This record gives sequence, structure tokens and C-alpha cells, in this order.
Amino acid sequence: MQPIVLGIETSCDETAVGIVQGRKLLANVISSSVEQHARFGGVVPEVASRAHLEAIQQVITQALKDANIKISDIDALAVTAGPGLIGALLVGVSSASGLALGLNKPLYGVNHLSAHIAVDALDNDEKIQPSIALLVSGGHSSILQVNNLASDVIVKGATIDDAAGEAFDKIARIMGLGFPGGPVVDRVAKLGDKNAIAFPRGLTHSNDLVEHQFDFSFSGLKTAVARYLQQTPNYKKADVAASFQEAVVDVLLQKSIAACKESGIDNLVIAGGVAANSRLRELAQERCASAKIRLRIPPAGLCTDNGAMVAALGSLAISEGIEPSQTGISADSAAGISQVIW
Amino acid sequence: MSTVLAIDTSTSRTSVALIAGDKVLFNEFHEDPLAHGEILPVLVAKAMAQNIGIDLVAVGMGPGPFTGLRVGIAFAQSFALGMNVKWHGVCSLDAMAAAILEKDFIVSTDARRKERFWARYQDGKRVNEPQVGKASELEKLGVPIFNEGEYFPDPIAIAKLALNQLSIDQPIYVRKPDAYPLPANVKFREFTTLDLVSAIAMEKEIYGKAGWSAAQFKEEFAQVPKNAHYLAAESDGKLIGYAGIFYVDNVADIHTITVSAEYRRKGIGRELLKRMIDWARVKKASAIMLEMRVGNEEAQPLYIQNGFTEINRRENYYGPGLTAIIMRKEL
Repeated sequence: MQPIVLGIETSCDETAVGIVQGRKLLANVISSSVEQHARFGGVVPEVASRAHLEAIQQVITQALKDANIKISDIDALAVTAGPGLIGALLVGVSSASGLALGLNKPLYGVNHLSAHIAVDALDNDEKIQPSIALLVSGGHSSILQVNNLASDVIVKGATIDDAAGEAFDKIARIMGLGFPGGPVVDRVAKLGDKNAIAFPRGLTHSNDLVEHQFDFSFSGLKTAVARYLQQTPNYKKADVAASFQEAVVDVLLQKSIAACKESGIDNLVIAGGVAANSRLRELAQERCASAKIRLRIPPAGLCTDNGAMVAALGSLAISEGIEPSQTGISADSAAGISQVIW
Repeated sequence: MSTVLAIDTSTSRTSVALIAGDKVLFNEFHEDPLAHGEILPVLVAKAMAQNIGIDLVAVGMGPGPFTGLRVGIAFAQSFALGMNVKWHGVCSLDAMAAAILEKDFIVSTDARRKERFWARYQDGKRVNEPQVGKASELEKLGVPIFNEGEYFPDPIAIAKLALNQLSIDQPIYVRKPDAYPLPANVKFREFTTLDLVSAIAMEKEIYGKAGWSAAQFKEEFAQVPKNAHYLAAESDGKLIGYAGIFYVDNVADIHTITVSAEYRRKGIGRELLKRMIDWARVKKASAIMLEMRVGNEEAQPLYIQNGFTEINRRENYYGPGLTAIIMRKEL
């Protein structure tokens, strides 16, 4: 029997617990405090931390129910130990430590970013390493070469200013569309013309490519959109959203496919919250097909923060024979992608 | 006879005790206000090495600094779930007061920001809900005060209280989260020379003699827009805050973030800081520096949350005896 792993994720505003058995997804429960943050236009750390503590016991109980197992059936635990909001991370880490000691089972502190990629292994028997991974979320935008997710990940490029998801939030805020920006811009963009406005593609000029071949920059795009809105009193929200989204998605895919070609790797994994964006998913299919690159994107529901991805990475660590974390994990709000398991 | 594992993380101390009836099987603590998360599992693992089954997990619910407090509660709840026993919450101040035999007294713990969490006890009973306030206000009550440092919430008392009281199921935060939506009527715009008179008055009121004069303002202001950026926050046409940043040679330096006293803790300083950081990014600065007065505890968490770290201190920077903390953030 494959081991059953329970994963806890509390790095931002989702209190989430997932349960997997080997590569099989058994449960994935998420409680979000996003509505409490909407009126602030961003996640407020103390509000998020309080909500985590309020929700976590119920979320664990619900996940056990969904998986139809008893808590004593759990063989190992995994928890996001970073990066993320420190106060929020600590609720999950402390909760997982308590469960691990109470059950006398091993605990793996895992990296949130790696977990976004690891979720692709769930219910998927193909092994697609090495691969190029485009990791795009509210806090991160990078292109990684994943030779082995648990032990050998090379950063090929990253954003030099805003993360892609952050750009979505800011544009939504300027246009008064609400928070979080990703889903709402995606929705509004469906009604607009993506070619209506030619917004800039950051770091794609030949002289930028010398130093920043696989890096991203979204702050120029953000400024361009703000300027356009100022200068165009009767702008069409849908056209702006669609054209902005196209500019982001276009650059993400241009650079990801270039990274595949440069490294001779014809597998591309797209992960992180922004991977739920419908236009990114659609255009990725088109471009990967014509570039003969095998594309994997987890189901949209597993792209945003969740506990299943944490459990999936814990499960991977077990199958790779990695030692569990020492008692007393140090959560690290600024952990880099190179620290996969604590 | 019940066996109880008791935990408290409501102060700078992480404490764990294991009692069976009147017997204390384990009682240890570790002093470090920033390491509850790392230490607590280690202490509990040590206590459980005795290999005794437990009947109850008891935990101090505060009041206390939020992040550390939640470590104890989150851990205790899940540990109880894993052990298949109940958990029970206790007021941490009660567990601190248990050792004190006075007839009428106050216990108080550090609430940061120069404030205290406290409660008053008469004839062995707590007579008010836990409060937060300035130490000077407590002294006015004229009863003996027992402070964190000499006394701590005693985990053995937590265990005993848990066996004799109803459980407190919610953390005792006392304070609201430090977050307020920006008041709807606050506007941010470029700072202009028309703001000078109000700004100088604010400087004088807030910083006294160390405040900027008109001449200093004009000197700073001359660099706008190429090498400096000044923003004003106004409410109903009245200047309520301003911020300025200066950029030279790859590093940006925040020269001031000032918010008038009655508009503080409403997110205005946060918004000004955010806009300063954005400007530095546009200028492609590689880092931002700022100087902060030692004792300005109100502002420091904001800077730390935004990625600034202390790199140095300069004595007498703001005048005799007034030390500046130099903070830096890499971009």
C-alpha cells in the first residue's frame, strides 16, 4: 500500500488541507479568508492568521471525512514551511507539528513553490522530468528547469519587479473590478478584444534579452495600462482587461517556450495560481502544439493554493527516500526554491 | 486522577508541563520571544518521551503577542486531535496570578508597542476581562502590579485550572487586527509648495525641535521630480500626511513619512510607504534606506513587514541622546 499523506497549507489566505495516497488524490478542502481581505485590496497578514486558526481544525476534519479515513490511518504529514506570510505559515506549521507528535508520525516541512509543481504528479502516471516549469502566482513568477523536483531545480529566470498575479490584482484595483484580480480580469476579458490595445511586452526587446532572456517585468505594463486609462476617458473595461491579459500571457509563453528550446527539454509544466487563467491555458495549448512541446497544466482547482499540492510533495519526498524534517521546523517566510524539504 | 499536558506561549517564554494528579512529571520552559514555533514541539516531544498516555491538553489562550500565542493554540488543538483527547483553553493571566497571594493586585504582560496586557484580581478571582493599556494607566489603580519577567503563566497552574473551569475556546486577542481599510475620504496626490505651511506646522507638532524648517523643506523639494518624489495625503482638503524619497547613485533614501496623530493606524503610512517603494522601483534603485528614531515602535513593524531590516545605528542623529536605526530593503 502506498503511504497516506495529509498536507497543510496556510502560507497566505487559504486554509487548506489535502490528503493523498501515493499519487492518488483523496481529499482537497479549502477555506478562504479572501472575502475578509477584499475591502483592503490585498491580504492583511493578521486577518489571514486569525482566520487560519479559526478554520484549521474544521478543515482537517472535513478532509478526513472526504477521504473517508480515520486520522490514525495517516502515515505521514506535510506542511508548507515557506515562503509566505510568517504569522500565517506558523499556524499551519504548529498545527502540523502537533498532529505529527500526537500521531507519532513523520512530518515533512515543504516549499510552497515546489508544491505548486508537485501537484501535477497527482492522478498522473507519466514521469515528465526533466521539464521546464513556468511558475506563476500572486507572489512569484519564474521559469525553472526541473531535473528532479525534490533535489535538482535550476532557476532560469524570474520577475525583476511584480509577480504576474500581482499585476492582475493591481490592474483590477485601478479599474475598480475588485480583489483578487486574477479571476475577475479573466472573466471580464472574455467579453473584450485582446488586440484592441497594444500594451508593451516587458523584457522582450533584443537588447533586454541579453541580460534578461528568461526574466519577466510587469511594472512597465502596469504603468502603460494606468496611463491608457487616464488618457482614455471612455475606455472599455473588457478591451483593457483582454489586452492587458494578452500582454501578460504572451510574454509568459514566449519565454517558457524559448526556455524549452534553449535547454532541449520538450516538457513544459505550468503551475501556480495564474495557471488557472483560462487564456493562459488556451494559448499554451496552441503554442505548445505548434512547437511540439508536451504541455501539462494541473486542473484549475489545483493551481491556486491548496493542501493537496503540499501532500503531493510530501508523498514525493517519501518515494525519493528523503528523511523527514527534524522536530521543531523553522518556518521561513522568504525561503527560495532551492530549499525543497526542511 | 487525570494526566494533563499543559502549554503556554503567551509571553516571551514557551512553557510545557506534564502533570498526573499532584505529581509534576515534566516542567520546562525556553526563553525566546521569536522561537515559540521551533521550541514548542521540541519541549512536548521531550515531555512525551516519558511514554505516559494523557487525558487532556491544556493551553494558555492569552492575551499575548498574536503570532506566538497562535503557535501554542494551533499546536495544542492538533496535538489533542492526534492523541484523540480533548483540549481545554485557559486565560494565561489567570495562570500567572495563581502564584500570587495578595488580596488585590494586577498581573501584566508585555503587549509590545509600549503597552501591557493586564487583569485585576481580588480575593483570588479575576474581576475584569483581560485588557490592554499603557503601564502608566495601570499604576493609577494603586494596587500592586506583578509583571512578566518576575512572573510567568505557570503551565502547572494551566493544567490545574483546566481541570476546574470551563474551557475558553477562542484566543484572547484583546486588540483588533492592525488593519483598517483606508478611510474613504483620504486622497493621495503630489506634494506642492502650497502644502508647506501645513507641513511645517505638523513637523513642529510631531517632532518638536527636530522637525524640518521651511528652508529644509525647500532644499529637499528642489530635487523633485528628477531625484526626489514627494506625496501628500489629504482628507477633506486638509493635509494629514506626507512622504518624501530621494534617489541618487542607485540607492533611494526615504526622508520622511509623517502622518498626523489623529489619522494614524488607518493604513495611511502603509500606503505612503508603498508608493515610495513603487517610485524607487521605477527609478530602478537597487535598494531603499531609511532612518528611524529609536523608540518609534509604532512605525517599525510597518517597515519590517515591508522587507526592511536594521543594518546599523547612529547615535545622536536626531539630536543629543536620540539614536537613529538605519534600515534597508533590497529591491
